[in-house]
Amino acid sequence: MQHAFEKIEPVLIVEVLTAVIIIWRIVSAQRGKELFIRRIPGLNAIDEAIGRATEMGRPVLMVPGIGGFGIVALQALSIFSYIARSTAKFGNRILMPVADPTVYTVAEEVIRDAYQAEGHPERFDPDSIRFLSDRQFAFASGVAGLIQREKIATSFMFGEFFAESMIFAETGNMVGAIQVAGTIQTTQIPFFIAACDYTIIGDEYYAASAYISRNPTMLGSLVGQDFGKLLIASLCVLGSIAATLVALNVPMLSNAGKWFLDLFTIR
Amino acid sequence: MLEPLVRFFAPQPLRLVPYYVAGAVVFSILVVFLLINLPSRARKPLIAIVTFLAGLFYATEFFWPIDKATNKNFLTDYLVSASKLGSLLGGMTLTLGILSLLRVHGRNIARLRAGWYNSLALLTAMVAMVIFGLMDKYGTNAGAKKVFNVLFEGMLINMDATMFSLIAFYIVSASYRAFRIRSVEATILMVTAFLVMLGQVPIGNALTDWLPREGWIASLRVENVKQWILSQVNAAALRAIAFGLGVGGLAISLRIWLSLERGAYFEKEI
Repeated sequence: MQHAFEKIEPVLIVEVLTAVIIIWRIVSAQRGKELFIRRIPGLNAIDEAIGRATEMGRPVLMVPGIGGFGIVALQALSIFSYIARSTAKFGNRILMPVADPTVYTVAEEVIRDAYQAEGHPERFDPDSIRFLSDRQFAFASGVAGLIQREKIATSFMFGEFFAESMIFAETGNMVGAIQVAGTIQTTQIPFFIAACDYTIIGDEYYAASAYISRNPTMLGSLVGQDFGKLLIASLCVLGSIAATLVALNVPMLSNAGKWFLDLFTIR
Repeated sequence: MLEPLVRFFAPQPLRLVPYYVAGAVVFSILVVFLLINLPSRARKPLIAIVTFLAGLFYATEFFWPIDKATNKNFLTDYLVSASKLGSLLGGMTLTLGILSLLRVHGRNIARLRAGWYNSLALLTAMVAMVIFGLMDKYGTNAGAKKVFNVLFEGMLINMDATMFSLIAFYIVSASYRAFRIRSVEATILMVTAFLVMLGQVPIGNALTDWLPREGWIASLRVENVKQWILSQVNAAALRAIAFGLGVGGLAISLRIWLSLERGAYFEKEI
């Protein structure tokens, strides 16, 4: 069984503190506090990519990865919901192959809802959201086939990707599609950077929905995340100082350093 | 307290399975009917409460101190039963996924659209795999087992391997584009990748083999430069990304757990 470690205090303290900071920022944002987010080029490129598909009259592809239903898939669907609203407005054809049946069910509702919100429910084609296969490479070959046959103009890949990421990105590149990708899998980020026009790296993935929707709750959460990262970075710096003090055996201070290191040592 | 519930969901003798299936179907229909007919005002808090309780269960199980002898706390034994609910949901949605496949490809065949024969091949393969898969698992027919073996080991596994092998060629073409020297960043990327690759192969190591193995000058040996890039530069960047992702994951989980996320996925509130 996976548990918080035998000595749970540091994990509990940092997680609870981060959670409190995030909730505090969410509440502040909901009360109307103005918040600033830096520019994220990959997310700015979404509209440009959709515009290109409109001009070319070719479909927009959205791939939510092969991961199961969870926060990563939900985040991907949140971004795809925004994209679907734009495609509904401009009348683009969309294609959304899905590998997980649960994600497929929710995705269909999310995209249908986006079309309804834009006032064009008649433009929604249920066949545009397709369950292909839950086997990694069967799904990969299905998506590669769709990209080649449909000659997509734009490809958005957000979600959990593994070895198949390269197949999607390179096939998209072969048909000349503009590609925007984002994943939490650090092993796949280099492949996306190499093959795609824009890549969302690391926690930018979780910032995406706040960035494009400007929803106060999400903006507050995003700023809370930054405070959380600041907290962790501070602990890293303090840990380095403490380790140095212990190594140098500075009188008095080395004991304090040892205490600090011991506090955050997970056994 | 949860013992009767766990006993109820534990594997049952085969004779009871039809009753369980019938009960589950009736129960599911009732739940869906109730949910559909609930007014939006009541549905919202219900979803919020269920989400909160589900999250609370996993969070408490994770953080509650464990008994060192058994490596468990009072909730650990119920984890499997709780996880089964997720599997059940997956099983139900798989039916919807298969229906989607049948709808898209059935229409391709019925209207004889371009490439309809591919759709026919897909549906035939799917049906054959299901039939022979079931016969292999539950039947005794040796012929059926052989057919399943040919379909699975002989075809599917090999096709998977073929797709996987393609990645090698794709990596080459993507690397060629990424490493073209167009900017300072691309140059740094290329030089770093070149050094790491050199450090991984014997011929690379041989290039600096004449340098001493001890002292500060040993740091310039290719294998040491590679190791430094991987363990200092690369590992630090990866950890920074991992911290960001961890905190991002915590934030989005909190928003969902506390139902602060409403309106993000569905334009109308549910």
